[in-house]
Order: sequence, then structure tokens, then C-alpha cells
Amino acid sequence: MTKQNSSRSLIRGFLESAERFPDRTALVVDGESLTYSSLRRLAGRIASAIAENGHTRSPLVAVWAHRSQTAYAGILGSLGAGKGYVPLNPKFPLERTCRMLALAGCTVLIVGRECLGQLSGLLGSADFPLTLILPEVFDLGEFLPSRPNHRFITAGQLPSGESFSSGEDSASASAYLLFTSGSTGVPKGVPINQGNVRSYVDYICRRYDVNEHDRFSQQFDLTFDLSAHDLFVCWERGACLYCVPEHSLMAPAKFIRDHQVTMWFSVPSVAGLLEKMRLLPPGCFPSLRCSLFCGEPLPAAYAASWQEAAPNSIVDNLYGPTEATIAITHYRWNSQKSPGECLNGIVPIGQMFEGQQFRITDSRGESVPIGEVGELCLSGSQVAAGYWNDPAKTRQQFVRLPGARERIWYRTGDLVQRDEAGNLCYLGRVDHQIKIRGYRVELQEIEAVLRHACGTEQVVSVPWPVNSGTAEGVVAFVSGVKGFDQARILANCGDVLPDYMVPKKIYLLDELPLNSNQKIDRGELRKLLLEGALA
Amino acid sequence: MNAVAEKELIDLVVDWVKQNGRNGSNHTEISESTNLLESGLLDSFAFVDLVLFIENCTRQKIDLTDVAPEEFTVVKSLCHLAFQNGH
Repeated sequence: MTKQNSSRSLIRGFLESAERFPDRTALVVDGESLTYSSLRRLAGRIASAIAENGHTRSPLVAVWAHRSQTAYAGILGSLGAGKGYVPLNPKFPLERTCRMLALAGCTVLIVGRECLGQLSGLLGSADFPLTLILPEVFDLGEFLPSRPNHRFITAGQLPSGESFSSGEDSASASAYLLFTSGSTGVPKGVPINQGNVRSYVDYICRRYDVNEHDRFSQQFDLTFDLSAHDLFVCWERGACLYCVPEHSLMAPAKFIRDHQVTMWFSVPSVAGLLEKMRLLPPGCFPSLRCSLFCGEPLPAAYAASWQEAAPNSIVDNLYGPTEATIAITHYRWNSQKSPGECLNGIVPIGQMFEGQQFRITDSRGESVPIGEVGELCLSGSQVAAGYWNDPAKTRQQFVRLPGARERIWYRTGDLVQRDEAGNLCYLGRVDHQIKIRGYRVELQEIEAVLRHACGTEQVVSVPWPVNSGTAEGVVAFVSGVKGFDQARILANCGDVLPDYMVPKKIYLLDELPLNSNQKIDRGELRKLLLEGALA
Repeated sequence: MNAVAEKELIDLVVDWVKQNGRNGSNHTEISESTNLLESGLLDSFAFVDLVLFIENCTRQKIDLTDVAPEEFTVVKSLCHLAFQNGH
């Protein structure tokens, strides 16, 4: 039987499944299937390579890979070596990746074959020695010029990994470090420890009765914390993980049917896109038994359509910021009852996970009466201790609250209201953070890049278009730009920002409208967009 | 519809992408073999808008139910589908 305690490591969960189900398929990726024993073997070789060559005090190993065997085995190998992992995304601009690597302080980097084309550029920017592990590369000669500062371990040089074990359990050991958009223009690191994820995984496995016959979707990029749900919930119980290929991400309906997926997890936008493309007819997903949505507000219309498409599935709306480890509240969709419980057409975020705590507070941190709007504050075993190497930001967001000073509370910045049934309902943000396809985006980060690219302080970004309460992108307004060259400015943005943060359009105005407080009037700008009054 | 209509549709799609695609599309080479998503010219939301545009042009619905996404995100194959299985 599996050992259940708060310090049980994530790698122990995988290894025990590998012990119980060595011949069951653990992973289907890039057209290939790996059994638990073969994935364990590959992860063990990577773990041994880290242990033998990672002479570093850093608790983290970076994994620069994408939807490949190396991506998943690299994560397991990092955890097996007693390190947390830092996922890096080859779809992100190289400059951002280099910055994340430097901020994380990693000296060991696991590299997937799919990143080799960018490797030379990354090494050119790295001004510190790295140990690079390349599990799918046998010959480096064709890819790289001589790089004497760095050490390379190719597939043929990987140790055998025979002695792979889960080591000691420690709840405080690092699980992963993820970077989210930062309002100062610098990505913000959120370190999540093993105990945080263990609390989540145990609760979810119980709630959804996960078993070895389940087939999990793996839709999220690894830089998105919701991917940790797919990997660790799946492998904890010996189930199989199906990595959705890049080309199927937008319209995964055929993928779900072809692989008879039982456990679905995505942002609500995916349901919206499938519906618009008429790929969500009633009864089209009979294999699904659990459909989970998270990452952005879930419109009631999408939940209803998905429920009809997946009649054998429960539909749950999950909510949680990265700082509270994947998700921390849930709401079960009920076709009869739920439409009456939705607020502004948005499904409630529901109730807290068992054992986690919340407060709804006013601007002084005092709890507001039930029914009033306030900021959601979170505490409990899933909540992180603070930000990575950023004590000022940590003090600002991780606080003690009046009347509840015995514990640290994370201020989410999310405005919520508790309804009569006790469900939490999401209402918006206290700041300028938005979500695009589930990704957290600080508008200030986009504006910081735009200021630099445009050579003016007069910049502002606005979520647009917004459909069913969900932002599909961002547009920008600028003023006072000499020699305005939209294509050049956007190219500069694309060098620094991930594609979902690059404005879809930039409008040059004579001057930006101001409100009565002499602040830029974003409402007026939205009005211009709505009226279609812009060229 | 005949082959000429399909060719005309390809031209219309290329023009639409130049106008509505990610900013700077005017400076990017777009041809009938361009994969609109992989190239970054369109995101998934814009792609849905393009499908609606094509349906408007052909006055036929495109059935993508059993088509692999890698087949319908390329300009030429998308336009071909618009005639092949439109109903």
C-alpha cells in the first residue's frame, strides 16, 4: 500500500507506481509509448548524471524541453536527484529563458532535442558555467562549436541509473520553481515545495478516485503550474499520461476520442474554441469521467456545453493561483442547479479544498461580512512561503491578518464574494493583472517593454478582445512616439515577451485620454475599441 | 465549386491573414503552404475567426470533426477542406 503522509516525496509516488505497474504505459509522447519501467530507467540515468555532476548547492535543476521524453524524464530525474525543477519553454523568447535561468541560479540544465537550435544562443548569453545533460543527443559536434566553459553529458555518457531510489522524504524540499509575469518587468519566481504539492496530489487523488486505468490529458505547457497536476496526480496512481501534441492544442477533440482520455484538464478557453468550431456536439466525449477547468473564469455556457459533450463526466471548476499550488477551491457543475448559482454568467469557484483556509478581506485586512466583496486571502499546507529571492514582494503579498495572526496569509489580489450557499464567486482583480489563455499577465510588464521599445512614457495596454469575460489578447495605445514603426516595436516586444503577452495591435494616438484623477482612462480606450473608432 | 474558386479562396485567406494576423504579418511571407498556427501568424482565437470568414465566403460549413488539426491549419488544406466536406 502507498504510504500517505505530508512529506511523502513526489518521486516516491512515481517509483511506487513503477514498482506496482512496471509494464503499464506511463507516458505517450511524440508518437511513442513508455512503460513505467522504461520511464523509470531513463529518469534514473538522468538523476544519476545530476548527482555525479551537479556539484552545486543549488536546490534546482532547469529543464529546457517541450512535449518530449526528455521533458518528462528530466523532471523525474531532477526530483530523483533530490532537486526541484525549473521548467523553461523553448516557445519563450531566448532572452526571457536566459533571464529565468539566471534568476533561478541553476547550474545544471537538462536539454531536449527540440531546443538544440537555440542552444548556442543560450550558451552565448550564459556568463556562468553550466552542466548540460542531453539525454536524446549522441553527437554534439553537429550542433555546437567548442564551449570550454560548459560541461556536456550526452546520451552515451549517461550513467546506468541502477541505484535510482526516492531518497529521503522532506516536505520542505523544493518541488519546482515557476516564473509568472512580474509588474516590475522582471519575471517573478514562485517556489513550491514537496509538501505543498503532496497536499494537493493526495486531496485530488481521493476526490476523483484516480486509478491505474485512467488516461490523463497533458495539455498545459510545463511552464504553467497546472501541468504539475497532470504529471503527479497521474503517476501517483499508476495511470497513463497522454501529451497533447502542439498541433492539437487548439482543437484537441480528436485527440480525446482517439486516446479515449478519461481525465481532462485545461483552461476554459479550449472549451470555448471547440464550441465555436462546432467540435463539441452532445455525447462526443463518452470516455471522459472527470473534466476539470482552471486558470481563468469558466463561463456557464462553456460548462453546460462540455457537460453535454461529456455525459459520463463530472465537470469541476477549479481555482488557484500559482502561489497556492495548482488549485485550492472547486465547484461541481450541476446542470439543474448551477445556472442559478452563477454570477454574471461565470461559474462560482466554489469551496476550499479540505484543510485549506481562506479569508475575504477589505483594504485593511479585516474580514468582510458574508456577501460583501473583498480580496481573497489563502493559507494552509498548499500555500507557498514567499517569492524567490524577493523579500520585499514577499512581505507585500504574504502577510498576517488582524484576528488571524497565527498564520501567514497569501493575498491573491482576486476579488471574490461568498454567496448564500457558501460558494466563492470570482469577480475580478484589485490590480492590472489579467489572464490570457490561463497565463497570468501583468499589464505593467507589457508596458515596461513598450516604453523601452517606443522611447516614450506614454504607453498603456488593454485586454482586448474580451469575450464571455475572458481576455483573448492585449492591444496597446501609445502617444508621443517619434518615427512610429509598429512592426519594429512588435518585433522588439516579441524578443522579450512570450507570444501571449505581445500586443495584437498598437494604436498611435495624439494623446492618451485621462480620467478625473489625471490617470490614463482605460475605460475610454475600451470604449474606442468597442465603437470600432480606431484605424 | 471548381479549382479556380479554390485558388481564389486561397488568395482571400492570405489577404485576410495579412490584415488580421499578428501585427507585422505584412512583412512575413505567407503562401498556400504556410501553417498559420506554427508560424505564429494566428493564435487560436484568430484561427476560429478565419474559419468563420471562409464559411462566409463559401456559404458552406466546414466540418472539422474527424480532421487532424495539423491538416487544417495549413492554408491550402484548410481551403481544400472548405470545399471537400462543406455542407
